[in-house]
Amino acid sequence: MSNVDEPVFDSQRPAGDEGAGSRRSVRERIQRLAERQPYAVLCVQGDGQPYGALVAFAFTPDLRHAVFTTPTATRKYSMLTRSGRVALLIDNRPDRVGAFMDTEAVTITGTAHHVEGGEAFQRWAELLLGRHPYLKSFVHADSSALFRVDAVRFLHVMRFQEVSQWVPDPRS
Amino acid sequence: MGARPPLLIPLDGTAPGDERIVGGKAAKLARLAGAGFAVPPGFVLTTRAYRMFLDEARLTAVIRMELGRKPMDEMRWEEIWDTALRIRSEFLARPLPGELRNAIAGNLHRFGEGAPLAVRSSAVGEDAAGRSFAGLHESIIGARGQSAVEDAVRLVWASLWSDAALLYRRELGLDPQRSRMAVLVQAMVDGDRSGVAFARDPRDHGRDLAIIESVPGPCRLLVDGTVDPDRWEIDRSRRTVVAWLPGERDDGTGGEPLLDPEELEAILDTLLSVEALFDWAPDMEWTGRSGSLTVLQARPITATAPEQTDKRDWYLTLRPNDARLAKLRERVAGQLIPQLEREAAALAAEDLDPLDDRRLAEAIDRRRQAVAHWKKIYWDEFIPFAHGVRRLATYYNDAVQPQDPYEFVGLLRDQPLLAARRNRAIADLAGQVRAANDLGQALEQLLNEHGGPLHWKEIRDALSGRSAEAAAFADGFDDLNERYLDITYDRERLRDRPEALLRTIVELAKRPERMGGDRADAISAADLEQRLLDAVGPQRFDEAREIIETGRVSWKLRDDDNLLVSRLESQLLRVVGLGAERLRRSGRLSGEGRVTADHLSLIVEGLREPSAEPVVIAREAEAPEGGAAALSPGEKPRQLIGQPASPGVASGIVRCVRGRADLGAFRQGEILVCDAIQPTMTHLVPLAGAIVERRGGMLIHGAIIARELGIPCVNGVRQAADILGNGDLVTVDGHLGIVTVGEPEFKLELEDR
Repeated sequence: MSNVDEPVFDSQRPAGDEGAGSRRSVRERIQRLAERQPYAVLCVQGDGQPYGALVAFAFTPDLRHAVFTTPTATRKYSMLTRSGRVALLIDNRPDRVGAFMDTEAVTITGTAHHVEGGEAFQRWAELLLGRHPYLKSFVHADSSALFRVDAVRFLHVMRFQEVSQWVPDPRS
Repeated sequence: MGARPPLLIPLDGTAPGDERIVGGKAAKLARLAGAGFAVPPGFVLTTRAYRMFLDEARLTAVIRMELGRKPMDEMRWEEIWDTALRIRSEFLARPLPGELRNAIAGNLHRFGEGAPLAVRSSAVGEDAAGRSFAGLHESIIGARGQSAVEDAVRLVWASLWSDAALLYRRELGLDPQRSRMAVLVQAMVDGDRSGVAFARDPRDHGRDLAIIESVPGPCRLLVDGTVDPDRWEIDRSRRTVVAWLPGERDDGTGGEPLLDPEELEAILDTLLSVEALFDWAPDMEWTGRSGSLTVLQARPITATAPEQTDKRDWYLTLRPNDARLAKLRERVAGQLIPQLEREAAALAAEDLDPLDDRRLAEAIDRRRQAVAHWKKIYWDEFIPFAHGVRRLATYYNDAVQPQDPYEFVGLLRDQPLLAARRNRAIADLAGQVRAANDLGQALEQLLNEHGGPLHWKEIRDALSGRSAEAAAFADGFDDLNERYLDITYDRERLRDRPEALLRTIVELAKRPERMGGDRADAISAADLEQRLLDAVGPQRFDEAREIIETGRVSWKLRDDDNLLVSRLESQLLRVVGLGAERLRRSGRLSGEGRVTADHLSLIVEGLREPSAEPVVIAREAEAPEGGAAALSPGEKPRQLIGQPASPGVASGIVRCVRGRADLGAFRQGEILVCDAIQPTMTHLVPLAGAIVERRGGMLIHGAIIARELGIPCVNGVRQAADILGNGDLVTVDGHLGIVTVGEPEFKLELEDR
């Protein structure tokens, strides 16, 4: 649309001239962020106490599931065993002041499930290692636990305060 | 690595290759001075000075924040203007670094105590050949003393982010991180003759012609269009005058040529020497005669602007200039608006019934032409005059340097706007309903019984004889209709649809009156005026008063002109409606669609040619309900951002006003969501809990009224009326410019999926 927009007359009012098609959809933005950022902040809770930790993750192409691994001796593992309700934060924040208008972030809410052994473990481990091959021994260690997150809702933020929600269709 | 470039370089100390730190204008002047041309003495604050200021004042982040709020492509020029104003205020509010102040102080003495100086932009690449961006950046003239020079320097730096520069940000490669601007501070040299000279005819470089233009007095009078110049076309090879076109001036300098042959010869010599020096054909500003000829500026002639398909070029012609504004004020307020009022009144008074079909078709044509004529005037003169308000804004902010860059809006308070008078009349009628106990109920009952469209006559009949109050109300409503509702909204005449306004009046009556001007924190217009006068000092009282008055007239007419043009449209619709009715009666028009100006040609043809094909007007498709219609599956807005147009926070249920039916449906406390609040619908604003608009700007109708009434408003929200739907719960934060949709909840996460 033109920067000069003077449609003041009744008969000249334009409708929907904002070229929405030229913008990326929220889903595309989320996908891009999930593909470009290798690490996310995992948020867990227990005993009324929230806790956060960085994890290496991978998403399925339909964005409905994510996967990460944690050692079992950790605080986050202990909290995950008590409640699977989690949030993941993925962002591209800069390391210099003032550039945050260009920053995008997505907060994903959902439930984490411990994937133990068998074909399912192989499949989810493969997804994670496809992105983070250097974590091979970590993922397969006896003292590690692999978690699948079933994503329920995505809250995408850009331009500091523009927030959109995207919910994948659970039937698809 | 070389040494850091200096903060300040005397113009005559500039070395070849310094252009990247002193900018194009200064580099060329320095080269001219070095080659022996007379150039006003001065110094340059280099691009390093600008970066030092930006870094110390931490302005890069501020600029990024302002520019990043919204994709610039989606900002209207009014929002871009607002952005530029806020950046300008930030620049003005920050002190210059001490080292820089010292450097300036150490160099001012060379001009003599209190000498008037010119402070001009010298952007890097500004004068490059190709596209000309001349005039995007500011030049301040007549700055005297350290403090005035510092203010002027800040303003010139800020103009790197002017509205016009932001419109062309891509072509200019504007980036907060890499932006650079040098500033030239020079002695002012004003001869009794000045002008502009082109080594080639700018319209046709192939012709062997030089062009010289001259005005009596300083060059700026020519550049800003205040004085019409004499113009000579000179054959370059034969050095003879081919043509002389005297300027149109009423100061007694018309008639005789301003320059004699010897003076013209001196300018031509200089012009051709400059051309030889640079090896390109210059466009040169000069002042003084023969022996005292001084070159003020030289840059390559740019090709004439391409076809004006880009509205941005049109916008550039609108930049306020006091002389032009004064002329426009005289013409718009003194002639055009009264003429428009008379024309609308004459059309309203015309008795159309006696006209035969052919004459009726002629009447439609005449009105169509009148509407087209006035719309052209609207673009050509009304919109440029609207910049009177913006001129007032920058004048006030430069002088007072207020914390709130919109403090000046208080000066516009209580102007007798047409819409304000109409809203007052509506509020008075609501007051009558409020005072008479059963009148509101009776009206509501009548409206509910009738449901759909209804003729005022039916209500009037029902009210008459009911009570003295009801009769007075009916008279008052008649008067309101007559005076103010001969306008269109959603391609329909409002006076044909009185039920919408009646519903609004009933709604307004349910709540205590909320009118403007009663905000406890508001500073009165008189106090603000005094604040401005104190800041400019007695010598500039007249100038300040003139600018306030122009701003006020400009603001008032900016609103009125919309309503008056709408009145013409209403009169066009009246006659189109009558034509349609005749065709329908004679069986030559059918269909249940509503007749609008879109059907004008068909109806004219039908009236003129009884044998023409019958006209069928089909019912329009229902407008989409909006509400997430513009979003992808599964996507929903949570927080929308726009401009914080009126402070305050309010939550409520959305009511989108997209068409005439929505006007009457609006209920007290609802959140008014629309594309743009037009002067035809501002009467809804007192009912609204808050306002959300697609159209952005701090100085648009809705924003100003909302601020007056203390109603939170966020505007410039992309696709507001498409994304939000009736019934959505939203919270409007007018401090931050945020609209939050829905409650913060985790229902989805907690349910069994």
